[in-house]
Amino acid sequence: MLKMILIGAVAVPAIAAGSVAATGVVVVDVKEARGGQRIVVPVPLALAQVAAAFVPLDKTRVRLPREAEQYMPVARQVLEALAVAEDGELVRVEEPGQKVSIRKEGGVLRINVDDGDEHVKVQVPISLALSVLPEAGGHFSASDAVWALQHARLTEVVNVQGRNGEQVTVTVY
Amino acid sequence: MRVRTLGLAGVAALMVAAPVRSEAPASRAWVHVRVEEPSRQSKVSVNLPVSVVEAALQAAPEKIMSNGQIHFGRRGRHDVSVSDLRKAWNEVKATGDAEFVTVEEEDETVRVSRAGNLMLIHVDKPSGNESVRVEVPIEVVDALFSGQGEELNLRAGFAELQKRRGDIVRVKDGHSTVRIWIDEGK
Repeated sequence: MLKMILIGAVAVPAIAAGSVAATGVVVVDVKEARGGQRIVVPVPLALAQVAAAFVPLDKTRVRLPREAEQYMPVARQVLEALAVAEDGELVRVEEPGQKVSIRKEGGVLRINVDDGDEHVKVQVPISLALSVLPEAGGHFSASDAVWALQHARLTEVVNVQGRNGEQVTVTVY
Repeated sequence: MRVRTLGLAGVAALMVAAPVRSEAPASRAWVHVRVEEPSRQSKVSVNLPVSVVEAALQAAPEKIMSNGQIHFGRRGRHDVSVSDLRKAWNEVKATGDAEFVTVEEEDETVRVSRAGNLMLIHVDKPSGNESVRVEVPIEVVDALFSGQGEELNLRAGFAELQKRRGDIVRVKDGHSTVRIWIDEGK
């Protein structure tokens, strides 16, 4: 009997950890400025997806202007074309004290913004962008959008560094 | 001048995009846009694969008609109908190199001419520090005029324009420069 309990005590967490590892984890890491608090929040994707499935349908509707809505299919086609295009720098904006760069590398769009002492890095898998693009009627699936983070495994999706040293990162493992 | 030059640049920017049916390997062709404002120390570069621009162009109308008129000079003063322009074009393209439209006004001069395989549109200010240069292959103009009546066939024009390698538009005014071109590099 004790043996069964021991096996269960090891197997259940192991299976749970394995499932979480297999489905992915989003880790939000917040560091306060000047040696302040650090908060790390790991969220299993599977759990987030289940939670997203309970989002009321009316909350998954993006209110787009009619003009914008008609361009959604075009946006989708542009992203699909971009996905298979050659890698390269798509946009670079340089102004005094500010630089913005958007690069396509593999299946990922890398957006870097340097604004004085503030730095923002965003890496968006194109497949993720396609997943969150609203369908006709401005509707999108919150659950699908969360699950689409699967496309960003082992990616630091967001890295924001403030002028006082504070830092927020969102990484998908 | 600024509104006009930006308008021309916008039209040209639309024109540089095209369906992928070129002789050159279209998948490697990129459309480049550079906007520089030295006074603000500002530089903007946009580089897009032709295939991406082509996808974006799905939103563009296949044909355009601006009340059947193409405007030269101040709006309403030197308008020419598309059908008249098509007839003129058919005559002019057979004559070889020529300057076939010149509009001289107090504040600017517009010249439309042909040089070899290119249609050249030059807009100049008397001061000399503001200018627009548009270079469009003859085949593109032919394709644009392949529409009927007062219509310009934009899509056909786009299809031809993507074969171009080199400058399409250069705009210079007192504050900024705009350059749009197509090449094989990123």
